[in-house]
Amino acid sequence: MSSSEDKNKKRTLVLRPSSRAGNVSVSGRYGNQSSRTGSRKSLSLGGGSKVLDKSHVHIPRPAVRVFDEDNNVVTPQPLYQADPGTAQAKGSRFFMNEISGGSDQTTATGSFTMPFSKPVFGSSRISSQSTIESVNEEIEDTFSKRDQPISIPDVKLKKSTVKEPVTEEMLKEIIDVFLTETDTISLLDIPSAFVSVDADEADAVIERNNQYAEVCRNRMGNDKYVNRSVQTLNGAAKHKHVQSDSLVMVDAAVTVTTWDMFDTLCNLEQEQTIRSPQPEKTDFPEAVLDSSRAAERSMSVGSTVSSVSASSSVKDVESSGNTANTESELQLIMQSERFQHSLLVMERSILSNIFQPQLAAYRQLLVLEVMFSDPDSPVEQREEDTGSSPSPSLRSLWVFSCKLSRGRSISSMAWNKKNLDLLAVGYGQFNSGDQEPGLVCCWSIKNPTWPEHFIHCDSAVTCLDFSANSPGQLAVGMHDGSITIYNLQSPDKSRVISSHECPKKHLGPVCQLRWIQQELSLTGEDRAEALFSVGADGRICKWFVFGSVLNCTDLMMLKKVTTMKRPGGNKTDKTEENVLSVLTPGLCFDFHPAEPSIYLAGAWEGLIHKCSCSNTQEFLETYHKHFCPVNYITWSPLSPDVFLSCSSDWTIQLWKQDQLNPVLGFTSTRGAVYDVRWSPKWATVFGAVNEQQLEIWDLKTRILDPVIVQPAAPGVTMTSLLFVQQTDCVVVGDSDGQVTIYQLKNLSVGEGSQVNVLEDLLRSAASR
Amino acid sequence: MAQVEETLKRIEASKGVIGTILVNAEGIPIRTTLDNSTTVQYAELLCQLSMLARTTVRDIDPQNDLTFLRIRSKKHEIMVALENNYLLIVIQNPCE
Repeated sequence: MSSSEDKNKKRTLVLRPSSRAGNVSVSGRYGNQSSRTGSRKSLSLGGGSKVLDKSHVHIPRPAVRVFDEDNNVVTPQPLYQADPGTAQAKGSRFFMNEISGGSDQTTATGSFTMPFSKPVFGSSRISSQSTIESVNEEIEDTFSKRDQPISIPDVKLKKSTVKEPVTEEMLKEIIDVFLTETDTISLLDIPSAFVSVDADEADAVIERNNQYAEVCRNRMGNDKYVNRSVQTLNGAAKHKHVQSDSLVMVDAAVTVTTWDMFDTLCNLEQEQTIRSPQPEKTDFPEAVLDSSRAAERSMSVGSTVSSVSASSSVKDVESSGNTANTESELQLIMQSERFQHSLLVMERSILSNIFQPQLAAYRQLLVLEVMFSDPDSPVEQREEDTGSSPSPSLRSLWVFSCKLSRGRSISSMAWNKKNLDLLAVGYGQFNSGDQEPGLVCCWSIKNPTWPEHFIHCDSAVTCLDFSANSPGQLAVGMHDGSITIYNLQSPDKSRVISSHECPKKHLGPVCQLRWIQQELSLTGEDRAEALFSVGADGRICKWFVFGSVLNCTDLMMLKKVTTMKRPGGNKTDKTEENVLSVLTPGLCFDFHPAEPSIYLAGAWEGLIHKCSCSNTQEFLETYHKHFCPVNYITWSPLSPDVFLSCSSDWTIQLWKQDQLNPVLGFTSTRGAVYDVRWSPKWATVFGAVNEQQLEIWDLKTRILDPVIVQPAAPGVTMTSLLFVQQTDCVVVGDSDGQVTIYQLKNLSVGEGSQVNVLEDLLRSAASR
Repeated sequence: MAQVEETLKRIEASKGVIGTILVNAEGIPIRTTLDNSTTVQYAELLCQLSMLARTTVRDIDPQNDLTFLRIRSKKHEIMVALENNYLLIVIQNPCE
């Protein structure tokens, strides 16, 4: 439009509507009422159709032009310019004659320019066009009635011919555009049909109403009024198509699960407790945000397969470029504690698969014998099946061994008092040769290939024991005489206490350690526990913990007693003689299971002394039999007052507490017996380990020979023995660092603990 | 850290173990002893299965959570240790 080009110019637009003839007014009722123009100019089209019909009415088309100050024509161009060439419609020729002579200021109705005033005011253009359209419909209808084709030429945009060169100065000019309000245009005027009673015309209206009512009353049978029917014209239906933008459909699905709701609730509560000081108003959008974030966090726990597949497709895209991320992620995962736990469980699962028959046998589950025997020796199986009462034997289940422990000699072993699957093994030097630093490994039944914990010690380990009150504490006695208590439950196995700096520590190797529960403590049901040790310096000590330091009190000094069987000698003589008491190394001790203040101590010379905790000077009894160092003493757990002792003089002696001479003695081979243990299950069974073999004795069956003999591997000496508490297994440690688990098979001892059998046996033996 | 590495190596060298895969939270394998295609296949399939198993466990009791999954087939045993941010998969052939 030319007016748009003139926007920048400082001009005002003046509208000069030209005079119009034939002002047709729009009113509520077509053409019935007189127009009320008043002060308003109204664009009326009401009688347009009538104008159409009366084709002879030639209303000269008013030419409205808009002029500006300089009297230039700035009339807004119509949006649609009719093409005079295509405006030749057949049936509308009578209009065309009027139209074709028209200038380019025809209205936008194309070939149907009406003899109305064309749109004058810009603001009313659209509305006037709509009214023109409505009139168009009527025209179409009239044309359709006459069966004439209507052709609507295409809308063409006509370029305005008025062009002024825009120079730089003109662009820089500041143009004032004045906006003024146009006069009010009345498009529709429906006068009110109600009149107030107080109005001036009220009387006239009332009278007219009365007249009308009378007319109605007189209507029947009155000749003045005739019934006549009129048909209303139905407007032609026009189809109009509208097309909107295509809707993008997105499928969104949510599966709600119980845990999803639980998670969201938990996270909501967490977030709310963190953000409690914030005002209440923002809680709701926060909650929405949090749930979305929680949903993101739990994305790895995606509930739908589609989401997982989506993530995997995302993975394909991402995996190409994120190597640096994965490295750091790997490090992060591997350092987390839960990963270590997962590894632990995984390793144990794998090993339980590998060692499944052995572990099942250990746990006393029914195991197919097929699992143990070689697949290419079926002969064995048949033999086992046909044997009526198979002979007792040992079956090797597995060996605890790792590269750390290979080659080191085992000096002692101890079960954990609480976790019955944990076995502590101390590695030290077998012969007192060059001392390597010692090692303690805690093996678990669940992992036969690698110890659960291992501790490197300063010197060779000679003995160890787990505490009963605090099961994570392991006391270790070493070759240099110091005792250290380790706490296995701490992550880095920091030693709790050491007696290294204690002035009263043992001067020689600690030969045996024991945690003993003695008297009932005042506070609870836990019995007070104390650590006792016997060392090669001949002292039996009881240790206390003061803060982080161990301290001890001497319980007994093992004095060397030179002459035992002096005729007429009594104890007082002995003590008088030995003024300079030389201490003899003590090798072992054991506390009476029922009377915790009585204990036995074995000495280097082969003497066994019965002592009391309350008497620190004298022995209560002395048992003579052995003439070599007593290696181990053990009270029978089932039968009271019976104890066993083994010695390097190749013998095992069975004693009763009140008899100074052993009741029974056992010898099998020529070799120092290093360890002897009672079976926890049967009172008549005990095991012994000597230089060449492992022996299981059953006194019910045979007294003279062991029932089961397991020879050691060549070149290896078995050094220590333990029975397993609840199963029929035996643990043997040897000088090569291997701990072997054997299962006792076919040891038919009978029901019950055989205590009475043993007692009968002892009585019969004593009476001989 | 070295201990963790050692434990992992011991697992990988255990008797009968065919392969070990460590998968991160998004299902991308970050450490493996198998070839690439097998690894990707195992990781994807086991991720889905463990999610399903986890959903099952937690639907019954939302405070519970799945920690370990073992699938025993004719030829192998697949063991999966689950945590929030990783998956440790070990394939073992128990009987040789």
